[in-house]
Amino acid sequence: MNFTLSDDHLELRDAAQTFLDKEVDLRPLLVPGATATDAGYDTLWRKIAELGWPSLIVPETYGGLGMSYIDLAMVVGEMGRTLAPCPFFGTLAGTWAILRAGSEDQRARLLGRVAGGEAKLALALTSMDGAIGESVAATADGSNHRLTGTAWYVVDAAAADQIVVAARLDGRLKFFVVEAKAAGVAIALLDWRDITRQVGTVTLTGALGELLTGSDDQTWPWVRDRLYLTLAAESAAGTRVVLDDAVTYAKERMAFGRPLGAFQAIKHQLAELAGQAECATAAVHYAAWALTEDDARAPLAAAMAQSYASDAYRDATYRNVQVFGAIGFTWEMKNHLYYKRARCNAELLGPPAQQREEVIQLLERQAA
Amino acid sequence: MDFNLPGEDDPRRREIRAWLEANPSPTYRQLAERGWTAPNWPAPWGLSAGPELVVMLDEELERAGIRHPHQLNAIALNQCGQSLLTWGTEEQRQRFLPPALACEERWCMLFSEPSGGSDLGNLRTTARRVGDDYVINGQKIWNSHADISQIGVIIVRTDSAVPKHKGLSVFILDMKTPGVTVRPIVDMSGEVNEYNEVFLEDVRVPAAHRLGQEGDGWRIVVEQLQTERQGMTMPGAVWGSGPTARELLDGLIRTGRIKNPLIRDDAAKLFIEGELLRLLTYRHLSNKINGKPAGVEGNLGKMIASPHGQRLSDLAKRSQGAAGMVKNRDVLPLPDKHYGLFDNWDYAYWFSPAATLGVGTQEILKNTVAERILGLPRDLDPTAATPFNQINRPQVAPARLAAER
Repeated sequence: MNFTLSDDHLELRDAAQTFLDKEVDLRPLLVPGATATDAGYDTLWRKIAELGWPSLIVPETYGGLGMSYIDLAMVVGEMGRTLAPCPFFGTLAGTWAILRAGSEDQRARLLGRVAGGEAKLALALTSMDGAIGESVAATADGSNHRLTGTAWYVVDAAAADQIVVAARLDGRLKFFVVEAKAAGVAIALLDWRDITRQVGTVTLTGALGELLTGSDDQTWPWVRDRLYLTLAAESAAGTRVVLDDAVTYAKERMAFGRPLGAFQAIKHQLAELAGQAECATAAVHYAAWALTEDDARAPLAAAMAQSYASDAYRDATYRNVQVFGAIGFTWEMKNHLYYKRARCNAELLGPPAQQREEVIQLLERQAA
Repeated sequence: MDFNLPGEDDPRRREIRAWLEANPSPTYRQLAERGWTAPNWPAPWGLSAGPELVVMLDEELERAGIRHPHQLNAIALNQCGQSLLTWGTEEQRQRFLPPALACEERWCMLFSEPSGGSDLGNLRTTARRVGDDYVINGQKIWNSHADISQIGVIIVRTDSAVPKHKGLSVFILDMKTPGVTVRPIVDMSGEVNEYNEVFLEDVRVPAAHRLGQEGDGWRIVVEQLQTERQGMTMPGAVWGSGPTARELLDGLIRTGRIKNPLIRDDAAKLFIEGELLRLLTYRHLSNKINGKPAGVEGNLGKMIASPHGQRLSDLAKRSQGAAGMVKNRDVLPLPDKHYGLFDNWDYAYWFSPAATLGVGTQEILKNTVAERILGLPRDLDPTAATPFNQINRPQVAPARLAAER
């Protein structure tokens, strides 16, 4: 047993931190009406691609770095800490779907381009009401498939070169790859509250889809566990940074002749957040380890991490605004960017209560 | 990183299990001779064991149905005994540690006083040097197992002319010394279980039983309290001991109460928090073995664990409704484990208010986390720099004891 991060992991995290602290500038977003594009959504990605991060999780056989989920959590945590606006989440999500459901040929062809920084991906899953794989239908057309329907809340859809689409084929959930520029594919941006991300709808009208031939009932749960880890890693690191910001402010800001942070009403709230931040980080490390080891506890660990870190991040961003006082409620401060990232992270794949239900069901199955 | 605990086939585990099978009813002295009652202590007292060996010994003793020495003689083996390794004289170690490790002398802590528990530095019990002895007068309270202990670790004021935290000293006290009167307290759970008041009237303790120098008392007890808090961070219902959320979930599933939508989500939240507390505790052990700083888990862990335990026993009660308001031991099924006092949810629940009071209240703990971990400004204590004898009048004889005479 060894519950401690290795020096290699810490070095990776420090390198990501140094790079992102230098390259991410959220100030352009502190003007009403700004979008992720104004904060370097495209330019930052080019630098990230040069660093090879798109290839982090691509196996070495397909030209990637084949790094572990613990390594990934180090990098994703830093991206969450800085709210780095770039199409990383979509590319990760698409990569995992192809890794799990693609044939050898599909993986080599599609992921080779991702690893080389030549292609960006997105994963289109959700109906407007949040159901997975219900809103797009697939029909066979000779040896091809045609897709029709609208997927909502697709992260990085507009930036993607290929979109992996979850669709019903003969009543079963299957995954297809669609060329973003192909006929019958229309992408529209949503007015997503978290402006550090770019989120849209993908409307397909008889668009040509390439079936990922290994799609089965386990594809989505497998991908979902990894997306839980990704969001949880962002959220845990976000929890820590908004706590740190609130602590720094509470030490500097004076009221009634004392620093704000001298008042127990403030101190005690921040102490509680320190506890939540530690727990959220522990949950992420555990889930990252379990996924790396392909441990049987991985689905439980991933659902625990996503639900806990979501709630912690929501609590921390609320408290962060409260400690800053009214200035923290203005658009010109960055507090609201974290507040919105926290809420959107907690809803994107279903709310924390849903992941807790998954935890209970796993325990019930174990006991049976 | 490796979150796996040592497996069933670990050779060290097999060796422990084989010995326990060959010696099915060992005395604690036999266990102490093997270094198993304080395995993490250095030789000759323990084995300098790393976290894996500590975990395996715990599990194997539990499996053999032997109550953990660190539970039976907690004050000696968890909180205070280690102080003798750093602050004690060789003579003190030879006199006090062997019977403590063998659980033949049980220890108690004599810290809190009626005048204050969380503000421990305000204590009023005094010790006056007379020849080769000190003479102690005052009163202590909330002393677990003082009624059955042979040894007490006591903090007293040896100098009232300096500020409150500076004039304190620690002694190792033979509880049979004339002038020591122990009286059990019935706490709100209705049980006479472990707490006592201890009255001290002209109690003579040899100067050779002083731990460290005069004035070292505050540093010694702060160390002991940190150690004690670290011991309370596991996810058990009461101060880290007793049944955990795993047992709660198991009981709720077995009784079908998990299907109740008013129970279900709270049960999941507690399960998750319990697992994360477990991870924090193990991470603390990992950090220690890797030679890294012990980290923040002690104070932070207890801050999370205490209310966690309260919510745990509350949910066990809630799952039972009005039936849980009748004194009973059968709120939910529990596996046959050695939880000491807390072997049932009923007791754990009615005892649970203590969890956020003992070893410093939850509020004091949050101050400590905010100040020591987050670096927020220290709370104001207007009396901290004033000589103690100018802020508090000398304590009069304990009124209740005097009235009884």
